[in-house]
Amino acid sequence: MIPLRLEPDRVVSTVCPYCGVGCRVDLYVKDEKIYRVMAREGPPNYGALCVKGRFGLGFLGHRERLKQPLIRRRKGAQLEPVSWDEALDFAAGRLSKIAREHGPDALYFVSSAKASNEENYLMQKLARAAVGTHNVDHCARLCHSSSTAALSRSLGGAAMSNTIEEVGLADVILVVGSNTVETHPVIGAMIKKAAANGSFLIVADPRRTGLAEAAQLWLRLKPGSDAVLFGAMARHLVVSGRFDHPFVQKRVSGFREWLASVDGYTLDFAERGSGVPAAKIRQAAERYGAARAAAIYWAMGVTQHSHGTENVQSLINLALLTGQLGKPGSGLNPLRGQNNVQGAGDMGALPDVYPGYQKVSERRARKRWAALWHTRLPEGSGKTMTEAFESVERGALRGVYLMGEDPVTSEPYQDHVRRILDKLDFLVVQDILKNETFPYADVVLPAASFAEKHGTFTNSDRRVQRIRPALRPPGNAKADWWILSEMGRRLSARLERGRPQSWRYSGPEEVWREVRRALPEMLGGVSYDRLEREDLRWPCPNENSPGVSILFTKGFATADGKARMLPAPWKPPDETPDDAYPLVLSTGRVLYHWHGGTLSRRSELERVYPEMKVEVHPADAARYGVKDGESVWVASRRGRIQATVWVTDRTPEGVVFAPFHFAEQPANKLTLNAYDPTSKIPTYKYAAIRLEPLAEPTGES
Amino acid sequence: MSREPLVIDGYLLQASSGETILDAARRAGVEIPTLCQHERSGTKGLCRLCLVEVEGWRRPVPACATEAIAGMVVHTESEGLKRLRRVLLELLALETNLEHDKKAQGLLARYRARPERWGAPLADRREREPLQDNPFFAREYDKCYNCRRCLDACAEGIQGVWAYSFVGRGNKALPATPLDLPMAEAGCVFCGNCVQVCPTGALAPLEEVLLAEGER
Repeated sequence: MIPLRLEPDRVVSTVCPYCGVGCRVDLYVKDEKIYRVMAREGPPNYGALCVKGRFGLGFLGHRERLKQPLIRRRKGAQLEPVSWDEALDFAAGRLSKIAREHGPDALYFVSSAKASNEENYLMQKLARAAVGTHNVDHCARLCHSSSTAALSRSLGGAAMSNTIEEVGLADVILVVGSNTVETHPVIGAMIKKAAANGSFLIVADPRRTGLAEAAQLWLRLKPGSDAVLFGAMARHLVVSGRFDHPFVQKRVSGFREWLASVDGYTLDFAERGSGVPAAKIRQAAERYGAARAAAIYWAMGVTQHSHGTENVQSLINLALLTGQLGKPGSGLNPLRGQNNVQGAGDMGALPDVYPGYQKVSERRARKRWAALWHTRLPEGSGKTMTEAFESVERGALRGVYLMGEDPVTSEPYQDHVRRILDKLDFLVVQDILKNETFPYADVVLPAASFAEKHGTFTNSDRRVQRIRPALRPPGNAKADWWILSEMGRRLSARLERGRPQSWRYSGPEEVWREVRRALPEMLGGVSYDRLEREDLRWPCPNENSPGVSILFTKGFATADGKARMLPAPWKPPDETPDDAYPLVLSTGRVLYHWHGGTLSRRSELERVYPEMKVEVHPADAARYGVKDGESVWVASRRGRIQATVWVTDRTPEGVVFAPFHFAEQPANKLTLNAYDPTSKIPTYKYAAIRLEPLAEPTGES
Repeated sequence: MSREPLVIDGYLLQASSGETILDAARRAGVEIPTLCQHERSGTKGLCRLCLVEVEGWRRPVPACATEAIAGMVVHTESEGLKRLRRVLLELLALETNLEHDKKAQGLLARYRARPERWGAPLADRREREPLQDNPFFAREYDKCYNCRRCLDACAEGIQGVWAYSFVGRGNKALPATPLDLPMAEAGCVFCGNCVQVCPTGALAPLEEVLLAEGER
C-alpha cells in the first residue's frame, strides 16, 4: 500500500521515456499533473527506477512545449501560427514539389527512437510508399549502427541475444565501453548486485566509472584500442587451447581466416597497444573463456569510432570462440540508448531495410512491400543520415522531415550542421519541445509526448510494451501517428503513389495490426490484447507463442545457420594528439542528463547538474595549468567551447571527457567529421584537443 | 527430502527449499501482518509484527526470517500473538506520525489498538524537522519508524550506493546520511528507490508534498 498524500485522479501504467531498459512505470496524476512515478513489479525493472524516469518528467509541462502548428511562408519570414490543415497542406505541397522537381531522393525522413513502433512504421512508410525513397534513418546511426552492422553480418540478428533478467545468471560479466550505472542505471545496479553476489565482473573502460569501481577486474584500455585488446584475448584462448572447439566446429564459419588475422596479437603486443598489462589481459581472457555462462554488455565506448564495426566484431569473435551464445546468462548484449531504438530499427526506419530487417536490395522483399502498399518501390538503398547531410551542400538533398530529432545538438561537427540546415530548401520539425534545430524550420508540427498517446515501445531486450496516455497533449499538439497518417494521405494523393485511403487509421492499434500482418514471423502474436495481460518479446509468430527470450539456441539467422567469425583488425584513430592539440577528447553522458538535453534540461534534473563539466586528469591539470572549478576553453581544429574543469582521475591521463548534453556548450563543436566506413557511425569518442585559458581568447567565440 | 508436510493454521502444504514461513503462509492464503518486510529491498526481521508460534519451539519467531521446514506446525494468530502485535502497534503509533501509512492504520484497527492507554504520544520522533535538501524528494522523519527499507534499497537490496545509515539510539535513532550531509553530497544518485519502498510516506516525491500542501 503506497503512502500517498494525495488521492490520484488516475494511475496510468506505461513505460519510461528515457533509456532502452524500458522500465515499467505507474504515473500518478492529479489535476493534469504527474506527481509521483512508481516502478512496477516484474521485468524488466523489478520495482526499481533511476533518477531520470522517477524525477525527470518535468519536461511534459514545460513552457517550451510546442502547442501550435507553425509555418514560414518564405525564407526569412517569421514562423506564424496556422491550423493543422493549413500546416499539413503547406508541408505536403512543398515536399511533393521537391519530390516532383528533384526526384524523391531529394527528400530525407528522420524517424525517432523516442517515438512508438507504430509511428516509426508510419515514418518509413511515408518515405517509401508515399514519396518513393529509402531515405529514412534514425538516431541509432549515431549510437549502435556499428553494432547492428557487425551483428547482422555475423549472426543475422541485431538485438540483445539474451535478456535483462538473465544478468544474475552469468558467472562472468564483461562490460565494455558502457558507463552502465549512469546511462542504464537500472541494469547497472543489477550488474553491481550480481558482482556482489559472486559473478566475476570485468570492466573494460578508459574511465573509472561506477561499474569499474565495482569490478573484480578493470581493464583501463586506451581509447579506441578495443580491437587489439579483444583480439589478443581471443588469440590467447586459441593458442592456450582454452576455446570451445566443438562449438566452433559445429556452429561457426571463418575461424581460420580470423585466426590468421590476429596472428600478431600477442599479449605483449596488446599491452603496448591498449595500455593494459598483459597479465590482466590473460586473466580476463581465461576467466571469460572458462565461464559456465559469460555475458558481454557494451555501449558507445565500443561503437562510436571510425572503426566501430571492427570493435564490435572483436567482441562477437570472442563470444563465438568460447561458445558464449545461445544459453542462459550468456550472450552479446548491446545496451540500447533510447526507449524505442530497438523498435525504430525493427520497424525499418533505416535506409537499407524494410520493417523486420528485410533487405531493400532483395527482390522478394521489394515485391512484398510493393504489394502491401500498392505502389512501386525503388531498388537501391537510401542514404544514411550522416551521408545524406553531407550531400546537402552539393544540392542533392533539398528537403528534410525531422521527427523528434535535433541534429544541431546530436550530430558531430556542429558548425557544419548549421551550415547544412541553412542551405536546405525546406525543413519540417515535428517535435514536442523547442530545440536547437527549431530556428531552421519552415514548418513546425507540435507533437504529443509519450505520456499523451497510445502505442508500443520495444526495449533493449526485444520486449514489446504498451504505452498509455496519462495526460492530454498541450494546446493543439497531436500524436505523431496522427500527424504522419495525415501527411501520408496528402503526399500519397499529391504524388499519386499508393492509396490515400490506406493512410486512414482509427488509432495506433490499427497501425500495429498492419505491422503484424506484414511481419507475421516476428510480431504476428504480439497483439494489444495480449500485451494487456502478458510479457511478450519478439520473435513471437502467433497467438500461442510466448515469444523467444534467448536467441541463437539452435542456429544463427544466416544462410547456412552458422555464425561468421570475421577479421577485426585494429585501426589507428583518424586524428591523433600532437604538439598543437595534445589531448584526446571523448564525449559521453552523465547520470542526470539525456542526449541533447531537450528533455532532461527542461526538468528538475537540471537543478542538480546545471553546467557542463569536463573531466581532466590531475597530471594533465598540472601540466596545462588548469585548476578544479576553473572555466577554460576546450579547443579542437574545428571549434572551441567553454567548460568548467573537474580535476579527477576518473578520466585517464591524456584524455578529457566531455558530456554532450549542453546545447550552449556543445561538445560536438569539437568532434570530428569522420565515419566508420561500414556503418557510417561518427567518431564521437576520439578527437585531438587542447585546453586554453579563458583570459587569452584566440579566434571566434 | 522429507515428504512430511508443513502445517500453517491448519493448512497442509509441502515445504519448498529456502522458503520462509511468510512465503509459505502466503502460498496457502494465510496473511501474516508485516511492516518492514520487502522483497526488493530485502528488508526483514525488524518490526517483529510477523512473529508466529511454532509448536515445540520456546519462543515466537519472525515468519519473514525463519525457514519453513517440513514437520513444522505453525500458528499465526494466537491470543498471545494478538496481544503482542497490539502492543507493538500501539508503541509505534505513540512514537510515529502514521497519518499516510494506510497499512499501519489498518493493522491498528484490526488489532483494536488503543495507543492512548499508555499515555500521551512521545515527542522524540514526532518532533523531527522535515528535510528538503534536494529537488526530488522530501524526508519527514516524524513519519519514520525505522523499518530500514530505505537503507536496504539504497545498499545491497537494489542500488549498491550506501547513501544512508542509521544514526542515534533508541527513540532518537533514524536513517540519515553520514554527518547529516545533504543527500547530494552523500553519494546519493536520486534513483528514488528509497521513496519507492518507504511504507510510511516519510520519504515522498517533492512534487507530491508541494502539491498536497497547495504550493504547486
